[in-house]
Amino acid sequence: MSSLLQLEQVQLAGSQRDRLSNLSLQIHSGERVALLGPSGAGKSSLMSVINGTLIPQQGRVLWRGQSLRQRNRRQRCEIGTLWQDLRLIEELSVGQNINAGALGRYGLPWALANLLFSIGAESCLQCLRQAGLDPRVLGPEGLDRPVQRLSGGQRQRVALARLFRQRPSLVLADEPLASLDPAIAAEVLDCLLDKDFDGSLVHGADAVMVSLHRPDLIHRFDRVLALREGRLLFDAPATAVTPADLQGLYAL
Amino acid sequence: MARLRPSAPALALLPALALLPVLITVLAALHDGGVEIWTAFLSAAVHPSLDPVLLKALFSALQVTLAMALAGWSLSLVLGVLLGCCASERLMQTWHWPTWPATILRRSLALPRSVHELIWGLLLLQVLGLHPWVAVAAITIPYAALVARVWRDQLEALDPTRLQALLKGGAPPLAACFTALSPAMGTVLMSYGGYRLECALRSATLLGVFGLGGLGTDLQLSLQSLQFRELWSGLWLLGGVSVLLETLLTLWRRRSPEAKAGQRRLGLFLVFVIGAGIAGGLWLQVLLPDSGSVVWQGMGWPDWRRLTQAAADLPWLRLIVETLLLTVLAAGIAIGLPPLAIVMAPSRLWQIMLNAVWALVRLIPPPLTVLLLLLSNRPTLAIGALALGLHNGGVMGRLLREELEQQSVHQQQAMHASGASARLSWLYGLFTPRSSGYLAYGAYRTDVILRETVVVGLIGGSGLGWQLLESLSSFHWDAVLVLVGAYALITLLGEWLSDRCRTRWLQS
Repeated sequence: MSSLLQLEQVQLAGSQRDRLSNLSLQIHSGERVALLGPSGAGKSSLMSVINGTLIPQQGRVLWRGQSLRQRNRRQRCEIGTLWQDLRLIEELSVGQNINAGALGRYGLPWALANLLFSIGAESCLQCLRQAGLDPRVLGPEGLDRPVQRLSGGQRQRVALARLFRQRPSLVLADEPLASLDPAIAAEVLDCLLDKDFDGSLVHGADAVMVSLHRPDLIHRFDRVLALREGRLLFDAPATAVTPADLQGLYAL
Repeated sequence: MARLRPSAPALALLPALALLPVLITVLAALHDGGVEIWTAFLSAAVHPSLDPVLLKALFSALQVTLAMALAGWSLSLVLGVLLGCCASERLMQTWHWPTWPATILRRSLALPRSVHELIWGLLLLQVLGLHPWVAVAAITIPYAALVARVWRDQLEALDPTRLQALLKGGAPPLAACFTALSPAMGTVLMSYGGYRLECALRSATLLGVFGLGGLGTDLQLSLQSLQFRELWSGLWLLGGVSVLLETLLTLWRRRSPEAKAGQRRLGLFLVFVIGAGIAGGLWLQVLLPDSGSVVWQGMGWPDWRRLTQAAADLPWLRLIVETLLLTVLAAGIAIGLPPLAIVMAPSRLWQIMLNAVWALVRLIPPPLTVLLLLLSNRPTLAIGALALGLHNGGVMGRLLREELEQQSVHQQQAMHASGASARLSWLYGLFTPRSSGYLAYGAYRTDVILRETVVVGLIGGSGLGWQLLESLSSFHWDAVLVLVGAYALITLLGEWLSDRCRTRWLQS
């Protein structure tokens, strides 16, 4: 397996919650990685370092062997994030929000056209189906429905569809199951983790990393990274993680 | 096929297309001599005249403008609040009084509100003669009606249950109103009142440009005699005062809104309003001790037959079309230009430079911009639209900056992390969430621009404003009355339309 992402001795100073200490890890192509840890362990900070929202004070972040210090547009396109707070643009419609995922591939004229017309409907519908939402539930307005008028679960799917429209190589999902009921949470996890018959992820990315608070779901992953107080507590295949490891992780 | 479904950010950017016909017309009518004059004007900005005699004169004129603004502002705020209370059906019901007088008052306030302060100034100048209180009255009349409308609307929009609860509990109506309404209305008074003070300063300067005294008169005289260095001395002085006022108001608004402190601040604000009125009046008396008393010049009652004759003689279609075209083009520039300018290059440095430009164009009264443009151009409607658009663009640019300062950067970060360029991250992540509010204010601004077309029309040679000046100059009072009536009607229609747009965008 080739290394997609590599973190070397990453150090992030900040408050107790935002700190990362001397963190090194690798994510390989084809991997489904679970990121576990109690609240404030640094999971969101790690995601933010990987997607470039936070810049570490020390250490290196390498993407396909190249430093991400000054990340270019193509590199940013290749790492997609499903944010914990979704970060949908409330003032826009479902279709416009999904198309916003493709802004990295297009220029200003396309971006303006997206604000002016209903464009790229086929691609949006495809991404929406991929995210597990039947477009018929959007009612007669369809993709023109404002996201303000969607339920929590539907909003999650639209955010997921926007992520798929970006076509990233690495998917980062920050607490995607938080505040979802178990049935919808299971469906969202399926969308993120399901593989095709050839072993590739259904949504087309090379790898996926999901932070979550549900140790009972680690059997769905290939690998588990456990963080505590900004440090990597263990990094092991999902099958090798024992109940004692998990107890140790969440113990006070 | 892609269907047209413009969203709020697109609707905020598209009006900038108005720049195309305006710039094409202006550039086509440009003559060579203008370049030299413009160079002299721009270079004078960095070399303003520092002649002590001039500075002393400008400082005196600035004091007159400030005194006029303070007196007009204070009077309009006090009158506006009283009239607003009298025009509130809800308050009338609290006292178990009939509501129809309030309704009649509310509707009749539409007339003084719809006539621009400049028209009031020119009309009062004809009937009262040249006197500093003419400018104060010209500011007070429309401003009081505007404040009354806002005050009444806010009173009606408040949750009535708190007031009802106190009344049901046996509280006297006046005490109940003060207790239930003053916290929310106090915030409205301080926020809107502060905004109106800035407007009053701009209006006092503008009235001066048309001969009513103060710094505006000096600026206009300097420009007409092509004394650009003197002009810039006055502009920088006015700029300093404007920036100081804006800073003080911003600091005032940012203070913590804690309840008890809020009541204390409201009390302080009321003392300031009343004190400003008295101080402004006394200041004018000290500055202009020889101005004498206001004398009614007398005007006969209009004759119906002559009024209809005057109306029949006017080229209405051309005048109204020109006025509306001027409004549409100027509003397009004012609304579309600020976000377009940022989206072209959303760097921090560029935005700081833009803020300086907006502050400058906000500062220069539109008639002066028209006069400046006329130095290198011939009078066209495009000149008026550009001057009015840029001036109001300055106001919209500042509003946009304030809106963006309140917006979380989370969406922008998300867009940037997904590979979007800096300009698209700004457009989608920062501007889009604020675009509905921006458009709603744009609708209000369009309403203001429609009122202000008279200001540039008077100089630019177009629309009802120009015709009004012609009629005023020839003392054709019947035509003046008919034109003022027409202006009021159009601005009321525009106000109704902009209200509908604003409500729609705020709800969206």
